[in-house]
Amino acid sequence: MENIRVMIVDDSTFSIAVLKRMLQKDGIEIVATALNVKEAIQKAQETKPDLITMDMTLPDGDGIACTKEILKHLHDTKIIAISAMMDEEIIQRARKVGIKGYLQKPVDQTDLDAAIERLFEGEELYGVLKNNFEEAFKESIFSFLKREIGGQVVIEKVVEHAMTTVSSGVSVAIGIIGRHDGRLIMDMSESTALGMTRKILQDEGQQIDDAINFLSEFTNVIGGNACSLLNGLNRSLGLRVSPPTVFRGKDITISIGDIMSESFVIKTDLGDVFMNVGFQKGDVEWM
Amino acid sequence: MDVAIINPFIASVTDIMPQLGFENIILKEQSEKSKKIVASGIVLTLGIVGDKKGNVAYAIDTEGAKQIASIMMMGMPVEELDDMAKSAISELSNMLTANAAINFSNDNITVDISPPTMLTGESIELSMSREQVMCVEFDVDGIKIEINVALD
Repeated sequence: MENIRVMIVDDSTFSIAVLKRMLQKDGIEIVATALNVKEAIQKAQETKPDLITMDMTLPDGDGIACTKEILKHLHDTKIIAISAMMDEEIIQRARKVGIKGYLQKPVDQTDLDAAIERLFEGEELYGVLKNNFEEAFKESIFSFLKREIGGQVVIEKVVEHAMTTVSSGVSVAIGIIGRHDGRLIMDMSESTALGMTRKILQDEGQQIDDAINFLSEFTNVIGGNACSLLNGLNRSLGLRVSPPTVFRGKDITISIGDIMSESFVIKTDLGDVFMNVGFQKGDVEWM
Repeated sequence: MDVAIINPFIASVTDIMPQLGFENIILKEQSEKSKKIVASGIVLTLGIVGDKKGNVAYAIDTEGAKQIASIMMMGMPVEELDDMAKSAISELSNMLTANAAINFSNDNITVDISPPTMLTGESIELSMSREQVMCVEFDVDGIKIEINVALD
């Protein structure tokens, strides 16, 4: 829990002192404290904390309105309510304005730690994913092509890909679902797909429908193996792949710029394969 | 026809589209197709895993997609399907599928969905993950929206 910067909002200096001590025990840095809505809004903008603990009753307003105002400007800040008052109605209202969790006073250290951990675990996992997905997918496709097709297999990263890419003929999309979701797109020409199918099955009679089946299984294996590698790094990622959808046609444009993704061109003796893989940060909706 | 698979999607369209500002939602046709589907315009596909596994593909023609994007962007005129308009359509597919997932959960079927993949083109031939694909066609204020669901 280190490197988390917190602001405490509470109208009681006693409560602030208690929370401060608990948070400091976890190695968390307290960047600001505020006694009322006005102060909270101003200090939040100044310090841009990662986390805010929000009291629900404040002298010049309530925690709901205060949260609303703060989240207007700070989209990445997470807010948990810590209040003596807790009932279904206030929880629902808190949830609606974007508060991520609700703890009732007096707060217990274990509950507070668990809530913060849960809230920030996703960030850490996203970091793991971001730092490792390229290698996992490259390794997965490289070993598959090397084993099944053989010959030269060279993976080149597309340094800056555009928002869209034009299909070479056949495209496969697979959804990746887990703590953070993603997507894998594989694209190649019909002749490359046919060539690979014929080579793997050692049967020159294979037709385009067989190639489509091959390509869908190929993408499934690459995605499945890469996700297993990533899950091996941290089981909480819980990545699973959905079944593939194959697209075939002339002049198909694929959108790839909507999520954080990387593109690769894999050069083989049977032609080029285009691979795009990306993930988007999943959010903790409510704890 | 396995209505249990398609009903959550039908409910999703009739529930979500009015919230976005569409008025007349008519269920035109319900059919079962074989694995291959041909579509022109915009195709969006999302993966589904959980108690049921498969994918869903939405097909909307380009003109219809522009109209939808325009309404979703508070009536802003959409001359061409630029990144902003595409993003609106992409978000629509996400909302519809997420809502269908909630509808599934009301029947005690838990599913999770992936981000959408968007393609544009003419006569795109789609092969879904299963031999039988459930299809529904909607007329939403004169715009044709086709939903193809392949779930096991």
